[in-house]
Amino acid sequence: MGENHTMTIRSRFGRWRWLLVLSTALGLMAAACGSSSDDGTDTSSGTGDSTKTSEATADSTATSEADGAATDSGEAIKVAFVYVGPVGDAGWTKKHDDGRKELEEALGDKVETSFLESVPEGAESEAVFERLAREGNKVIFGTSFGYMDQMLAVAEKYPDTVFMHATGFKTSDNMGTYFGAAEEARYLSGMAAGAMTKSNTIGYVAAFPIPEVIRGINAFTLGAQKVNPDATVKVVWTSTWFDPTVEKEAAQTVLSAGADVVAQHQDTPSAGEAAQAAKGFWVGYNDDMSRFAPDAWLTAPVWDWGPFYIKTVEAVVDGSWKSEQYYGSMADGLVNLAPVSDTVPQDVRTQIEDLQKEIEAGTFAPFTGPVAKQDGSEAIAAGAEAPLADLLSMNYFVKGVDGKIEG
Amino acid sequence: MRLRLERRLEQRWWHTVIAPVGAVLAALVVGAVFLAIEGFSPVTVYRELFKASFTSAFGITDSLAIATPLVVTGLAAAVAFRMNLFNIGAEGQLYAGAIGGAWAGLALGPHLPGPLAVAAVLAASVVGGLVWALPVAVFKAWFGTSEIITSLMLTFVALYLMRFLIFGSKSYWRDPAATNFPQGRKIAEAAELPPFGTYRTGWGLVVVIVVAVAVWALIRFTSAGFDMNVVGTSPEAARYAGISTARVVLMGLLLSGALGGLAGGIEVAGRAHALDPNGLELGLGFAGIVVAALARYNSFAILLVAAFLGGLRNAGVALQTLPGERVPVEVSLMLQGAILLFAIGAEIFVRHRLRLVRSGIGPAAGVAT
Repeated sequence: MGENHTMTIRSRFGRWRWLLVLSTALGLMAAACGSSSDDGTDTSSGTGDSTKTSEATADSTATSEADGAATDSGEAIKVAFVYVGPVGDAGWTKKHDDGRKELEEALGDKVETSFLESVPEGAESEAVFERLAREGNKVIFGTSFGYMDQMLAVAEKYPDTVFMHATGFKTSDNMGTYFGAAEEARYLSGMAAGAMTKSNTIGYVAAFPIPEVIRGINAFTLGAQKVNPDATVKVVWTSTWFDPTVEKEAAQTVLSAGADVVAQHQDTPSAGEAAQAAKGFWVGYNDDMSRFAPDAWLTAPVWDWGPFYIKTVEAVVDGSWKSEQYYGSMADGLVNLAPVSDTVPQDVRTQIEDLQKEIEAGTFAPFTGPVAKQDGSEAIAAGAEAPLADLLSMNYFVKGVDGKIEG
Repeated sequence: MRLRLERRLEQRWWHTVIAPVGAVLAALVVGAVFLAIEGFSPVTVYRELFKASFTSAFGITDSLAIATPLVVTGLAAAVAFRMNLFNIGAEGQLYAGAIGGAWAGLALGPHLPGPLAVAAVLAASVVGGLVWALPVAVFKAWFGTSEIITSLMLTFVALYLMRFLIFGSKSYWRDPAATNFPQGRKIAEAAELPPFGTYRTGWGLVVVIVVAVAVWALIRFTSAGFDMNVVGTSPEAARYAGISTARVVLMGLLLSGALGGLAGGIEVAGRAHALDPNGLELGLGFAGIVVAALARYNSFAILLVAAFLGGLRNAGVALQTLPGERVPVEVSLMLQGAILLFAIGAEIFVRHRLRLVRSGIGPAAGVAT
C-alpha cells in the first residue's frame, strides 16, 4: 500500500542483466540438448585430475539396463569400492582408486567396477553397502576404518557377497580385512626428517589416536632418532582423515611451535602447503605428493593397492577366496617409499636405501628393542622384535614423542 | 521502463503451490545445466534418480529413512521461521539432543521395558535440544540478540562437544572396549526404534508423523499457537492485544529447539544406536531449513517435502554407481542448495508481484494497484 512496500530493483539489476542471464541460460540449455543426444560417450568423473580410463570406453549401452538386477549377460564380475574421501584427494582415496583402475586394466571385460566417493563413516554407510550388495556386486571393498560394523552387519545379510575391509579387525566367513606394514616406510621417512631438522622438532599432523596412527608415529620417531638422537616429534590431532583446511591449520600450529619438518597421517597434501609457506620440510603420505610443495618435499610412505585388488578378485572368480586378515609389507610391494628428494644429503639417502633392502629381505624390523616408552619404561626388550599382535594394538608413544594419546 | 516489485494485496491459494513447485523445477533446470556442462545427460540422470529413490520398496524405504529426521528438523525450522525467528541452529540442537538421548539410552535403557526406554531416549533428546536453545531464546526475548548468530555459534559448540565426548575424552558415552578406534557405546537394545522388517526405515517414521500432526494441532488449536501466529504476522498487533512478545518469542524458540533435539534422539534410537559423530554429522539440521522453506512452514507439506529431499539424498549414492554415467555425489547436494535458493526466491513472488513500469512515472504511481 504505502511506498515502503514498493521496491524498485532497477538500480542493482537492470534489464540488460536480466537479458544476459536469460540468454546464458538458454545457451546452456541448448548445449545440454546437444550433449544428451550422444549419450555417455565422454563421461569424466567430474574431478579435475582424473585420467582417462576404461570408464570412458565401458560399453555405453549399459545405461539402459541399470535396474540393479542380477549381473548382466556376460561373465563380468561386479566389484564396488566405497571411499571415505573424494578420488581427487591426491592421497589415500586416490591410491585406492588407482588400484581399482589397475584391476580394470588387468581383468579387462571380466570385471565391471564402480566406486562411491565421500561416503561418511558410521551409521549411514550401512545403506550404501546394502545397496551395493543388492545391486549384485560380488566383491565390495570398503577403504575406511569406520565402515567396520556396518560392513559386518551387511555381510551377515548377504553371505554370497565378499566384503573386504581395509584397516579393520573384524572378519566373518565372507568378510576379510587388508592392510599393511606402513611402519616400515614410516621408519625410513623418519630418517629423512631426522636428518633435515635443525630445530630438532618435527611436527606430526595425525588423524585419530588409534593403533594404526600411533604405530606410524612411533616408527617415524625411531627412524628420526636413528640419524638424529636429539630429534623429538610433536603430535597434533585433527580428529579427521580428510579435511584439507583442518590439516593445514594443524600443520601451521606445529610449525609455529618450533617444528621445521612436518609429517602427516592424513589423506591430503595440505600439510605440505603449510610447510612450504613456512620454508620448512615435509614428509607426505599415501602417494608421491611432491608436486604440491616441491621445495618442502622430502619423501612419503606410499601404498600400492592394485596387485592386491587383482589378486583378491581373481581369487573370488576362481572360487579360491577365503576370509583372511591380509597384512602386506614392503617385501610384497603393498607398502613403498616414494623417491627421496635430492634435498636430503646423499649419505642419508644411501643409508635409507640400504635399510630398505634389509627390511625387504626381512633382516630389519622397525620395532626392534631396545625401545623405551615416553616415561622411560621398557616397551620392547633389547634384541627382541615386537610381534604383530602387539603392533596392531599399540597404544603407547615411544620416548621422543611430544604428545598425548588421549586428547 | 523499469521492473518493480509490489506487495500483493491478496495471495491466491495456488500461489502457495506454484511457488515451491516452481522452485523445484527451476532448480532442476539449473541442475540440468550443470550436468550438461559436466558432460552428463540430464534426462538420464533425473530418470535414474527417480528410479533409485522412488520406484522400489528398498529405494522408497531408504529414502524415508533419510526423510525421517528431516521431518523433525524441518518442523524445528518451520515453527521458528513462521514467527520470523531464524533459528538456524537445529544442527547443533540435534547434536545436543543426540548427547541427551544417548545418555538416556545408556543409563536408563537397560532398566526399562521397550516402549518406555525409547520414550526416555526421545524425552532426554528433547531436553538436550531445549538446553541448547535456551540461551538463544533468552537472549532474543529479553535482549534482542540476533538468534541467527547465537544459534549458529552454539551449533559449533555442540559439534565440538560431541566430538570431544567420543574422540577427546574417556567420557560416559565412549565405548571403553573400542581400543582400536574411538566410538560411542551402544545404547540398550530396548531403547532402539525398531525397523520395519529388513527395511531400513522403522518406527521413527511413525513418531515423526505423529509429531508433525501434533505441531500442526498446537499451532492451529491452542491459545499458545494463536499467540505465536499473531506475534509472527504482526508484533505490533500482538502488543496491542496485550500478548507478551518476549514470552511468545521464548516459547517459539524453545519449541524449535526441542524439535531439533528430538531429531537427534530419533537418529540415535533409530539409526546410529550410539553417540556416533560420524553418523550424525550429516547436515540434517541445516537441510531442515530447506524442508521448511519449500513446505512454506506447513506441517503436512513438510512430510511430503522431507520424503522428496530424502529421496534426493538417497539417490546421491545410486547416481554414483550408474554404469557409464557416473555422477558425483555433489550433484544431489548441489540440487538441494539450488532448491533452497529458488524456494526463498519464489517466496518473494508469492508476496509480491513483478511489474513493468513505463519510465518517467515515479514510484508513487505504484500505489495504485
